[in-house]
Amino acid sequence: MMRSGPCSDPRSASASNPTESDRRLMNDLATTADQPLAGKPSARRSLASKAARGLMRLLPGLALLGFWQWASGRWIMETYVSKPTAVAARLYELFASGEIYPHLWTTGQELVLGYVIGVAGGIIGGYMLGRSPRIASIFEPYVMAFYGIPKIALAPLFIIWFGIGIGSKIALAAIMVFFLVFYNVYTGVRSVDRELANLTLVMGANQRQLTYHVYFPAAAPYVLLGMRMAVPYSVIGVIVGEFTSSIQGLGLFIREASATYDPAGVFAGIVILLVFVAIANFLAGRLERRLLRWKTLTVAAPNDI
Amino acid sequence: MNDAVLSFSGIRQEFPAPGSDVGIRVIDGIDLDVGHGRFVAVIGPSGCGKSTLLQMAAGLLMPTRGTVHHRGRAIATINREVGFVPQQAQLFPWKTLAQNVELPLLLRGVGADERRERVAAALDAVGLSGFDHYFPSQLSGGMQKRGSIARTLVYRPDVILMDEPFGALDAQTRMVMQNDLQMLSRDASATVLFVTHDITEAVLLADNVAIMSQRPSKLLANIAINLPRPRNVFEPFKNPGFEDAYDAVWTVFRSQIGIRQQPH
Repeated sequence: MMRSGPCSDPRSASASNPTESDRRLMNDLATTADQPLAGKPSARRSLASKAARGLMRLLPGLALLGFWQWASGRWIMETYVSKPTAVAARLYELFASGEIYPHLWTTGQELVLGYVIGVAGGIIGGYMLGRSPRIASIFEPYVMAFYGIPKIALAPLFIIWFGIGIGSKIALAAIMVFFLVFYNVYTGVRSVDRELANLTLVMGANQRQLTYHVYFPAAAPYVLLGMRMAVPYSVIGVIVGEFTSSIQGLGLFIREASATYDPAGVFAGIVILLVFVAIANFLAGRLERRLLRWKTLTVAAPNDI
Repeated sequence: MNDAVLSFSGIRQEFPAPGSDVGIRVIDGIDLDVGHGRFVAVIGPSGCGKSTLLQMAAGLLMPTRGTVHHRGRAIATINREVGFVPQQAQLFPWKTLAQNVELPLLLRGVGADERRERVAAALDAVGLSGFDHYFPSQLSGGMQKRGSIARTLVYRPDVILMDEPFGALDAQTRMVMQNDLQMLSRDASATVLFVTHDITEAVLLADNVAIMSQRPSKLLANIAINLPRPRNVFEPFKNPGFEDAYDAVWTVFRSQIGIRQQPH
């Protein structure tokens, strides 16, 4: 089998060294494959092209910021849209004075706890229903029905149940995250190839080993997809909860800024939320690459048969 | 009771038919013995329940009527004394080749040192040493199949069940694999039950060819193939006696597939 084009992946270096058995295999069918070597110039070129692409990506964002700055006060009153420099100044002020820290701490806690509880519940529930068709046939209609409820409508109810502290926000974030993760895990577990599971049983696996060696890894891509999709939803849950009623938090901060005609404050709050989501996405991406290395392989074996 | 390793007696199998109280009868009374160290091929028209027999031997499916005995013990649950090589290689895509082959040993509680040795030996036997750390997606179809066979050989199962293992391979790779399987099964003096729809393959590899009829299937014949070994799988017709052996199987088998006569 021929590999197409040079490749800067370090793993290809080992692949281009045929071992004893490679050679034997090649002789089986008297086929040989030319191994294009990964050269240094191509590596340097790819680095340069990566930098150029990064710059290209920055351009639209910079243009948007520039336009915002320019149009604010000229086309639209600054009282409505503020401007980037004002937002930056407001952000600096918020951190310098320490005014924002209590809000950050509260919202951060709500986000992490709500997310973790939702993910854990989703994985356990999805796995149980996925493995047992009998339990699934009983509970599926109920889960479907609850899934149809707009979770945001539960916010006032949760305030009554869990108070105006962090409890109600954690509950709201958790329930939004739960359904997303639940459905992905449920689908993932049900998609496991029956034949593969049977083979593993014949190989000598008990139920616990079957779970560990087959069901978890097979469902992992679905679980991770659900976890990634759930990140923004946990933020929605927390912020809506804080909008509804709260003593502290970024949602409250944004609402108060809006109530006092402080658009720079509103945007500053939104920027902070954006950073939250970006960090969470980055972590989720790292986890995904680590756990799903087998799905993203590019290097093929050096020869066929 | 007899001295067969695997024995099917009075097997009947019905599957529920959609929209009907009466099930579809797939297998209608089959008796078949697989002796120790024998290579038995089962052929039959598609849908006749060849694979179903293997499922029963592995304890994955209980026959509606009749019993399968493995060394005198009636199979009532998953049979861990057998090895199963499916049509698709079915390697675990999230494990490397070495981890795939290691898994049965791990599940059976074999120690780490012995595991490493036996995995290396099994990979060497199928010509895959050096590919330990490749993931299945990085291997070709033939290499995946070799890995699948290594994963079965590594725990030295009492009987190896093979379900059209080479059906999905291209013609060249199939010949190479048939040759390798012939060597491997002889070296391991393994007992093999091999399902195929390819008469040439059955005659070349097997000591016995069992022929099943159309659904509801019965056993039409169990023909001993006494060609000398090793057999030349690359040029089947060059094996002395091949033509007669093929003829013996074909004569029985031809009645089971619809062939329209050419008018002269």
